[in-house]
Amino acid sequence: MDTRTQSDLMLAIVVVVLGAAGTYLLLPHRHGVAKPRTMHIAGAILAGLGLLLFDMFWRPPGPFLTSLFFYAFSLAAVAGGLLMITTRNPIYSALWFASVVLSTSGLFLLSGAQFLAAGTVIVYAGAIIVTFLFVIMLAQMEGRATYDRAARSPFAATMSCFVLFWGLLYSLFLVKPPASVATGPNPAPPAAAMADASPNATRAPLTRTQDLGPGSVALARDLASRPTAQLNDAQGRPKPHVAGLGETLYTDHLVSVELAGTLLFVALIGAVAIATPKRPIRPGNREAAAPSPTVAPNA
Amino acid sequence: MAPPDSFTFDVLMSYLLVGAALMVLGMLGFLARRNLIVMFLSTEMMIQGTALTLVGFGRYHGNWTGQVFTIVILTVAACEASIALALILILFHRCSSLDVTLWQDIREPGQPPALVSLEESEAEPVEAFAGPESYPHLTPAGIEPAHPTLPWTERRD
Repeated sequence: MDTRTQSDLMLAIVVVVLGAAGTYLLLPHRHGVAKPRTMHIAGAILAGLGLLLFDMFWRPPGPFLTSLFFYAFSLAAVAGGLLMITTRNPIYSALWFASVVLSTSGLFLLSGAQFLAAGTVIVYAGAIIVTFLFVIMLAQMEGRATYDRAARSPFAATMSCFVLFWGLLYSLFLVKPPASVATGPNPAPPAAAMADASPNATRAPLTRTQDLGPGSVALARDLASRPTAQLNDAQGRPKPHVAGLGETLYTDHLVSVELAGTLLFVALIGAVAIATPKRPIRPGNREAAAPSPTVAPNA
Repeated sequence: MAPPDSFTFDVLMSYLLVGAALMVLGMLGFLARRNLIVMFLSTEMMIQGTALTLVGFGRYHGNWTGQVFTIVILTVAACEASIALALILILFHRCSSLDVTLWQDIREPGQPPALVSLEESEAEPVEAFAGPESYPHLTPAGIEPAHPTLPWTERRD
């Protein structure tokens, strides 16, 4: 475990503590005798500090403009998510969720997944509009209802979630780049590669798909190693995006596509069956209660 | 095999960190909030974090598998949204409220019930908006005048 990993882990502890404290103060619940607004400001400052420290872990992905967009999208995603779960009004929750979705689509674009970026925006735009309709239809109290002002056991929930976050950060920082990237644009120095072979195996190197051994992952490795599943063709040029994605989707993953279509159909039938209004069974209504005599009448 | 382009291990790590943060925040929202709509949005945010992780891995390994997996996840998310919103509609029609605590009868056996009165006492106090809500309440004085009997839609004066 080198010094960078150790400093990263120390910083991760600070980030997790700051984020947990800020999120706990921002969640809706009674803060003793303190005024809610004071507690919200303190929580926002703590969570913002945690977020600023958290973005020190990120490495800029390239030239200035790419890095700028990456930082903007990532900050908007995490901050939007934090505000989504802490705001009282469900309408604002839906709006912040829209910011999360747009930022995630931007990150998809930056990682070369144009089709997914467009698909995410299209699918979630519909979902968010429907959610808006639901909020306007169902929640009339604009965040003043009791269940919007009282979180369910906020301390235990914050603790468990941020302990999980620390566990994720810890396991991520213990992964080191694969030693075989020496020909890549960011070659690992040979000294580090030598240190990998040392018995100090606390940092397991990330294995490339092609280097996975035989065993339980053989099917996944074979699927991912086919020429149709590669981002680049045999000459090393990138394939045209949607053409390449459709090629692998309809050759390697045809069963998954069919299963996904079936799942959509089943969900459509299920949603219609659930949401269709049924006539309520009244005590005197004999023919409504007659077809199902085993079910207790729901008067 | 080298990464196809400038998507290095450090960039992959950034994507994984952002995905982990989104996932954890969504889980916190699902556990802590009581509004059914906010809980539904939190699950969608967990799915977003996972999708970000998968896309980053797929790009780093140089194959389409991550994006294919994310397309399947998107399908499942759409199904989940339709069924969840139908369920929210039905639950609201039964109880006229979006509170998930009202449905604690179907909790796991052996779990103590959440006390609604206790949760009411732990709720954040309401701050009155500036305007008519924050005006002082005065004691009504004198005899109450006769109110118009016609509803306001039929009054013509």
